[in-house]
Amino acid sequence: MWSTAREIAAGDVVIIWLTREVIQPLHITPGKDFNSKFGNYKHSDFIGIPYGSKVASRTGKGFIHILRPTPELWTLALPHRTQILYLADIAFITSWLNIKRGSRVIEAGTGSGSFSHSVARTVGSAGHLYSYEFHEARAKKASEEFKRHGMDDIVTLTHRNVCKEGFTIVDEADAVFLDLPAPWEAVDYAKTALRKDRTTRICCFSPCMEQVLRTVSALNEAGFTEITMYETLLRPHEVSLVPTLQPIAEVSEKLKKAEAKREEKRLQQIAANKTRSASMKRKREGGTEEDEDEAESKRVKTDDEDAGSKEESSSHLMTRESVEMLVDEEATPMASRAPSLAPPGKMSVSKALPEVRGHTSYLTFACLVPSSTFSAPPPIAAAEAAAPNVEASSSDKIDA
Amino acid sequence: MNNHDNSAGREWMSSPGSKIHAGDMVLLRLPNSDIRSIKTEKDSTVVVGKFGSFYANELIDQPYGLTYEIADKKLTIVPPRTLQEVEDTDATNELINDGEFVQPLTIDEIQVLKQSGVHASDIIKKQIEQHANYSLKTEYSKEKYKKRKEAKYSKSFTTIEPTLFNVCEYWFNKDQNRIRDLRADTLSQMLNLANIRPGGRYLVVDDASGMVVSGILERMGGEGRVLSICDTDSPPAYPVISHMNFNSSITDILVSLNWATAEEDYMPIIPPSDIPADQVKSERQKSRLNKRRAVTELLRSTREDLFSGEFNSLVIATEYDPYSVIERLAPYLGGSASIVVHNPHIQVLSDLQTKLRALPDYLCPTVTEAWLRRYQILPGRTHPMMAMSGSGGFLLHTIKVYDDPSASYVLTHRRQKTKKTKTETEEMGRVNGEASSRETNPQEQFKVDIAMS
Repeated sequence: MWSTAREIAAGDVVIIWLTREVIQPLHITPGKDFNSKFGNYKHSDFIGIPYGSKVASRTGKGFIHILRPTPELWTLALPHRTQILYLADIAFITSWLNIKRGSRVIEAGTGSGSFSHSVARTVGSAGHLYSYEFHEARAKKASEEFKRHGMDDIVTLTHRNVCKEGFTIVDEADAVFLDLPAPWEAVDYAKTALRKDRTTRICCFSPCMEQVLRTVSALNEAGFTEITMYETLLRPHEVSLVPTLQPIAEVSEKLKKAEAKREEKRLQQIAANKTRSASMKRKREGGTEEDEDEAESKRVKTDDEDAGSKEESSSHLMTRESVEMLVDEEATPMASRAPSLAPPGKMSVSKALPEVRGHTSYLTFACLVPSSTFSAPPPIAAAEAAAPNVEASSSDKIDA
Repeated sequence: MNNHDNSAGREWMSSPGSKIHAGDMVLLRLPNSDIRSIKTEKDSTVVVGKFGSFYANELIDQPYGLTYEIADKKLTIVPPRTLQEVEDTDATNELINDGEFVQPLTIDEIQVLKQSGVHASDIIKKQIEQHANYSLKTEYSKEKYKKRKEAKYSKSFTTIEPTLFNVCEYWFNKDQNRIRDLRADTLSQMLNLANIRPGGRYLVVDDASGMVVSGILERMGGEGRVLSICDTDSPPAYPVISHMNFNSSITDILVSLNWATAEEDYMPIIPPSDIPADQVKSERQKSRLNKRRAVTELLRSTREDLFSGEFNSLVIATEYDPYSVIERLAPYLGGSASIVVHNPHIQVLSDLQTKLRALPDYLCPTVTEAWLRRYQILPGRTHPMMAMSGSGGFLLHTIKVYDDPSASYVLTHRRQKTKKTKTETEEMGRVNGEASSRETNPQEQFKVDIAMS
């Protein structure tokens, strides 16, 4: 499955990483070109360079990263033929179904092959994936793809509707994964395909709760146990580097400064008015007392400083000085606490992306335990709850 | 490794781990849903608290997953439970009040019944008969009552197969701190993101009691190489591994170094082991020397293995600064190798992401968190569990790439003009920090770097 060589060779399938959103597969074919808005390249340029290289375009403007395909990258790059499974679900299913080296796994349907690639990687050449697809064109495409990716020794793809015809193996599979519109129709067939000498597992992947309920009934009737259901999602976080957060003392300081400045401006204005009225007075030669009164009514709270019209400029200066002093006095202890003059520190913060996938499908799981000879009727409690802590929700508080 | 391929056709018939062996660590689920870990030592007696005791030999060679009832230290297989529909009735709890005296059967009477060997189901039947308000209960409530009583009296248990999922879940519920909050779903994402496959070569730093190493070993099935780097003098003790019941063919591919022996200029202090044969005085000394020689040789070959590089992935669940781990080990990774870091705290990974994205050798470091919700599945009573795990930790994933300093961003010339006219180089540093704070198309990131140079 895919090249494990250090360097890229002709015929390899590689992953071209253009941006985080634009990731695409490329089949290295000498003689062909690869053109994108990130520059123009010749396939032959890629041959012989190590996987994971950043490659500059032929013009020097733009570059791409050439990566070794992995099932996880393939999931991001593959041509969609259907809705596909993503990392969170694939990883969880693989783990719950206990898929590992040597496992023999059934998958229906094949779809776009996102899950198939991951399973084939995990089971390796000691295991096997039996994949079933009822849509002929999709089956053909997937089959070609598996061949191109060197997986055809691990995967057997069969074009068939498993809900009508069942599977091609009997008593062999360790795990079954059903991604079908009506998985309950295939549950009995799945039981036939699963081996009976050890515990085996099944997962049904359905987006709707109604499907889950029908699947659960079918699994229960077929003798599957430990039926349980999960939902799993991946929450990407966005990390940003921001200045360390400002303490409110700095804000109050800023507000005080602004206030002082406003006051200073006001005093300046009054002083200016006085000057103006004084000069007007002088012009008119000994203005009336009424004018004096008018000016007085305008200067609120400044009576003390009113040392006469001739000293206006010096009073103005004094006022400014006193304001500055006031500000300095209060600002100094602040500055020693938080060095606001020093370049602000930075910190990394993260938050979940504003919009994330909220639901993919419900994952219904069950086990099939080895069919030894049980004959005794089941004991008293008939239903098995999935976990103990649910009982706490009960409205029934009777009995000690 | 070829024999694996050749025998692939038949190998699955006898896949190990499906049966209980003598000396295995076995997880048992008790009727009250507690999980107990026991050891099936041959000819021993296993005690499971108030649920009784039984001969370990009764379990040996049995497949996993069966349910047993204990009677006279012997086990009887009981059929697995199936879900049963509960009929809806008109009953409500309208007439049922808290604190009423409803159970005339006393604890002493129940004790006598238990001691006389009456089957759990009969005790429960008797309790139901005596229960004053039983008939008032809804069918759902009746079932709950029976189930609760059964959890109390039934002497039964189910063996749990030590799959990675089950073992991780057991440790997570038992002592989440010891596995650094690594939940089964997050662990499986790590294994997938790290592209763990049979035959690969992986570097692991596991301060999570061996949970990560266990996962990797299980996936590899004895094919490939796992090199773990630990903080201890002696080879690391990974307690989780013992629950996996691996046979040696699975664990033989694991070798380890510590942070000192993993340094390239480390000079091992080794007592001499090459003593001329005529100076060897006793058999004991001879075997001691042989052992010493083997240890020295293993250390040498492991170091050589590490320094030869080209590892396929680096998987980290460390209590130390993850950046220092990456800085040290990334040189031994091949191109396009995955780096996966787990941490219970997002702050640690946020800082790590900030550092990595400033470097051209790490492609698009991404921080994610797994979310998992389980549902109760009962006919007519399907709903999410009332209790849910808050977090299984966070993951950072990135890919190691080879930089090409001559490559330039498509739009560099345009950007460069506007910036050069406005700012000095010194300020560019600041711009760079801010520009990269918004994540990050690598090309986007790169243009700033170029503009700076």
